Amino acid sequence: MKNGTSHLARLSTLLGLCLALVPAASAHHSQSEYDLRAKVDVEGAVTKVEWKSPHAWIYVDVTSDNGQTVNWSFELPSPVTLMRRGWTRDSLKPGDRVKVTGAPAKNFPTIAIANFIRDESGKPLFTGTTQINEPEAETK
Amino acid sequence: MVLLCVVAAGPAGAWAQWLNYPTPGIPRLASGAPNLSAPAPRTPDGKPDFSGMWFANVPSRDFCKEKDCIQEERMAREQINLGIKLKDGLPYTEWSKEQMKARRANGGREDPHAYCMPPNFPRAWTLPQHSRIVQTPGMMVVLHEFNAAYREVYLDGRPLPMNPNPSWNGYSTGHWEGDTLVIETNGIRDDMWLDIQGSPVTESARVTERLKRVNFGLMQIEISVNDPRAYTRPWSVTIEMALIVDTQMLEEICIDNEKDTRLYQK
Repeated sequence: MKNGTSHLARLSTLLGLCLALVPAASAHHSQSEYDLRAKVDVEGAVTKVEWKSPHAWIYVDVTSDNGQTVNWSFELPSPVTLMRRGWTRDSLKPGDRVKVTGAPAKNFPTIAIANFIRDESGKPLFTGTTQINEPEAETK
Repeated sequence: MVLLCVVAAGPAGAWAQWLNYPTPGIPRLASGAPNLSAPAPRTPDGKPDFSGMWFANVPSRDFCKEKDCIQEERMAREQINLGIKLKDGLPYTEWSKEQMKARRANGGREDPHAYCMPPNFPRAWTLPQHSRIVQTPGMMVVLHEFNAAYREVYLDGRPLPMNPNPSWNGYSTGHWEGDTLVIETNGIRDDMWLDIQGSPVTESARVTERLKRVNFGLMQIEISVNDPRAYTRPWSVTIEMALIVDTQMLEEICIDNEKDTRLYQK
């Protein structure tokens, strides 16, 4: 386990940028249930993937230095959004080792919203794009 | 061959569903890309045809160096605050200000949308789900991915209903003013939010949407709200919608796995 529940005084520049620009990840809720200024950074094995609307969830067994294992819940965007960015229901499977960075729920110690998911070497497991065909706006 | 290249160039998962399947019958450039600057299409009777998939015209950017910001999504700013482009914001009545103060103090947790209630219009135009317009001479149908919802807009000349039973989408009729389709709506519920920050709208509201298809790829919607209970004067905002092609609607049934409202417990 790596710094599983530490709350950082400030976010990394990258994470801060993402959160600032995306104040409501999927429009389904205000995200006030999360402490978006704090950070969760854990490593472990995926135990379950819920590929359902309005948000996909992944569950990760995280073992601390003293050998205790805790099952974390991480909220992702909707499967629809993820599929449009090239991800599939099979992109993550139980048993996969992942490093997850996110923001913790305010009142639940093992629930967080995921912002980055990487493999053990730090390589992004999910990369996508929001790039689509779009017209030029004519009024501003 | 061009179309094959368009399909082959799709990302991983391109063959799942029809996420990257070329839309037939649309103007394309020599490269095979859709010609979104082409003239707006028209129906056989000469009216602008708004049929197609639409999404708020939000610039697409990749904020992350490795494109791995999972929470990154295209999203209209109006989703947060429908009056964000108005110099002085929306003209809330004192009653509305009290409502919003309470909603803000509670972190927006009473938003019906968070509890998977239907996507009401005009809010649905700003949500990060797609709409599809199906236009016929007598009716426009607007489908929306959130909860696989539908909305009817009658174009057959009928009047708005008198004292209708309030509903999420209300009751809509449309008429043409030149190339602009003017949609009038009444009979909407008292408990809807127009945006995430909780801008109210009440049963006393008359909502007008003026749809103009600027060209093949762009639609403008002027949203006007006349709601004397919630606003001190009528107001209007204009949003832009981008045509989305070479893909399909995907259902997003919110109640299927709604797990956020449990986190509101203290």
